[in-house]
Amino acid sequence: MSHTDPEILALRALGETAGTAGEAEHADTCPRCRSELARLAGIVELARGEGAAERLERPPRQAWDRIAAAVGVGQPPAATDGNGPPAPAARRARNRRAPRARRPRGRLAAALAGLTAGLIIGIGATAGVAQLTKAPATRVVAQIELLPLPASGQFRDATGTAMMRATARQQLMVVTLHAPRAPGFYEVWLLARDGVSMISLGELNADQTGTFIIPPGTDLRNYSRIDISLQPFNGSTQHSRTSVVRGSLPVAALGAVSPR
Amino acid sequence: MDEASDEDVAVAFGGGQPDALTLVYERFGPLVYSIALRSLGTRPDAEDVTQQVFVSAWRSRDSFDRRRGSLGGWLVRITRNKVADALRGRQREGRVLQVAGGAAVTAPEAPSDRVVDRIVLADELAQLPESQRLVMVLAFYSDLTHEQIARVLGLPLGTVKSHIRRGLARLRSRLEADGVAY
Repeated sequence: MSHTDPEILALRALGETAGTAGEAEHADTCPRCRSELARLAGIVELARGEGAAERLERPPRQAWDRIAAAVGVGQPPAATDGNGPPAPAARRARNRRAPRARRPRGRLAAALAGLTAGLIIGIGATAGVAQLTKAPATRVVAQIELLPLPASGQFRDATGTAMMRATARQQLMVVTLHAPRAPGFYEVWLLARDGVSMISLGELNADQTGTFIIPPGTDLRNYSRIDISLQPFNGSTQHSRTSVVRGSLPVAALGAVSPR
Repeated sequence: MDEASDEDVAVAFGGGQPDALTLVYERFGPLVYSIALRSLGTRPDAEDVTQQVFVSAWRSRDSFDRRRGSLGGWLVRITRNKVADALRGRQREGRVLQVAGGAAVTAPEAPSDRVVDRIVLADELAQLPESQRLVMVLAFYSDLTHEQIARVLGLPLGTVKSHIRRGLARLRSRLEADGVAY
């Protein structure tokens, strides 16, 4: 007899009565399925645990300052990667450092906020859940798919998405990438129509996602192409010329967003 | 891709790039701080331990071998050691107070392995993509069945089932790598 479907095992680990009677019996008698179920149930038990779920808290801001001071790292990127002249036509985002420094904090805070909201609702009524799935106070201006360049070998299966969101005050680019693990890091760029000028939005997080603030004043009707590059750890701030995926924002949608 | 994220951080850290400690701190700072806070109970002490952990991790980064274990697990071990040191330090202070004042001082207790594991689990839950995290949170902490979760979140049943299966598998492999007791 074939082993119990992993989805059924997962649901049973959660305490649901999933699967047919035969499947249930198999899960209880087959040593392999039974041990698998026990491991998964162990995770569920750990999660549900005694009392409230453990909370994750971010260390206060000064904790990092003390660490950076003690080991002498954590200088702002501009102070460490300034070797080599900038490419003539490349314009660096003026507030490049701002999105870089803020992004991980924001993402994590959002992750935790989501978790807490989920917990509260999970424990309380389910009526509020629909609220959670509603869009936040930003509106989606454009959402596009990012695809590898035709000549791409290493990254021919890579894909990505870019979603542009606008709040009353700023424009955000939410980027995801699905690409193989590679030495270096992935960096997100806005490319101008001349094919030469570009603005760096910043690095993707280790999970290949990132949310970036588009520098105010950026003319997106010109800088309408999004490019993700694989950058080596060599301190250079230039585009590595290794493009992983690209996509173009629909200029029509951007017309509605006037650059400041 | 799921394992790639922490793996990438570990690779960067092993390579000793100056930016790597920033990456490691961004990724694991909350985990380390939360374990320290839960163990020591006060924010200043938790902050001290957090600082000690990352400074010590950076200085001894050559001894980290990612073929022998995960970076998260390594940091959890350092955290537990530093917490134990801090508790011993308190005990010493307590003993001095006891000698001076004659009052009984209760010995501090390190958090159970299970508490550490639960914080590791919370850390991995926080890494999940939003929609999957919500599904897992509801699956764990609400009384909803997967069918009800699908209805409530407006997701296809198959998506919810697959989120649950993969979510559990991911939490499990994280606990196997970084957990203490699991």
